[in-house]
Amino acid sequence: MTRRDFSERDIHMALDGELPGEERMAYDAWLEANPEMKAKSTRYIADRAAMRAALAGVMDEPVPARLRQVVLGEAPAKASAWRSRWWLSAAAAVMLAVGGLGGYVAGVDSIARGGDGDDQLAEQAIAAHVTYAAEKRHAVEVPASDKDHLQTWLSNRVGLKLVAPDLAAEGFELVGGRLLPAGEQGKAAMLLYEDAKGERISLYVTAESSETSKGTYAAEAGGPAAVYWLDKGYACAVVGSLPPERLSDVAKSAYGQLLAGISS
Amino acid sequence: MDDKKAAILSEIPRLRRYARSLLRDRDSADDLVQDCLERALVRLDNWQTGESPRRWLFTIMHHLFIDQMRKVNRRGEAAMLPLEAGEAQAAPADQVETIASREIMDALQAISPDRRAALVMVAIEGFSYAEAANILGVPAGTLMSRIARGREELRGLLDDTSRRRSIRIVEK
Repeated sequence: MTRRDFSERDIHMALDGELPGEERMAYDAWLEANPEMKAKSTRYIADRAAMRAALAGVMDEPVPARLRQVVLGEAPAKASAWRSRWWLSAAAAVMLAVGGLGGYVAGVDSIARGGDGDDQLAEQAIAAHVTYAAEKRHAVEVPASDKDHLQTWLSNRVGLKLVAPDLAAEGFELVGGRLLPAGEQGKAAMLLYEDAKGERISLYVTAESSETSKGTYAAEAGGPAAVYWLDKGYACAVVGSLPPERLSDVAKSAYGQLLAGISS
Repeated sequence: MDDKKAAILSEIPRLRRYARSLLRDRDSADDLVQDCLERALVRLDNWQTGESPRRWLFTIMHHLFIDQMRKVNRRGEAAMLPLEAGEAQAAPADQVETIASREIMDALQAISPDRRAALVMVAIEGFSYAEAANILGVPAGTLMSRIARGREELRGLLDDTSRRRSIRIVEK
């Protein structure tokens, strides 16, 4: 047998049972001679053990009846709202991965358990945006020139202390706002912003919320998207047709300021 | 009950484990399994007896998962604010986890979906490189690099977590 040089690649192969048996002894010798590589191997083995341990319990859980029923053809009609909600959880993981691990912990759980409140909020916010942002002359009821009145009026109607966020740093100026229905019998404030190119975004804020959730929602491909947050007692969606990163930046700034205003 | 259905039933625990590693949340993971089973039953005729039901089902589930992840990515992925410390929710009673389990599951969720799937497929589900590459529909070389990068990313995240814990940074 000819001696070959091993590399980090072989650590993975050895770990995954892909290293040819006849190379095993030479590999072990190489590992012993390379403490750094050995430490790496030891660590990967430990991480794998932790992963296996964390997931081991799943195999012992009783299979949920609904899964058995699908296979046995006894599946009850599934409510459409419930169907295929799992990807929201996946979405949360992707989104939170960007913000780092610290943000992840609660995110998936809160979104996965969210009912339809988040979809509903996002859909209403998008519908309002599509209807009013396209209006040139009648987009708002109260213009930005009357900002103080706008804020007081909307705060009183919606039942939240609303401070129109300053989005100048993101390139957006307040156009004005209007009052809209929300949910079953609630009210929502819509604040419309415009950038130098005439691109418009809207903030949709309501006190009608009993869920905690957050996410991104697009009613249709190519249409405006909503970045939304729901919390108990208030909910907010930022809607626009901006590139996702830009919409996300604007939304973060707007949400931070709204939250500061509401809790001030 | 016919043999095919019995074979599918016996794979459910593994499908659930794989789904849980991909999605973490129990209900979401079971929803993914349910979508997978529904699709499998519609295509029961495509499955040749003698072919491993495990590989067939994992392939279906992986396609469902990756399709959705791509859609999610198109919707814009940077839309989340880091959660406030106070927002953290306790795991439900039936999902009691040790700190070590929680940390590794959190870290697993934070690595890219492609790497997560490749790593879990081999390290947890015990598929060979050839089988996993086949299920994931990628060349073996791609699979290997995803596994290697996945392991490295996971290690980095776990190190970050333990560092953060040891110096007790409270993020506000």
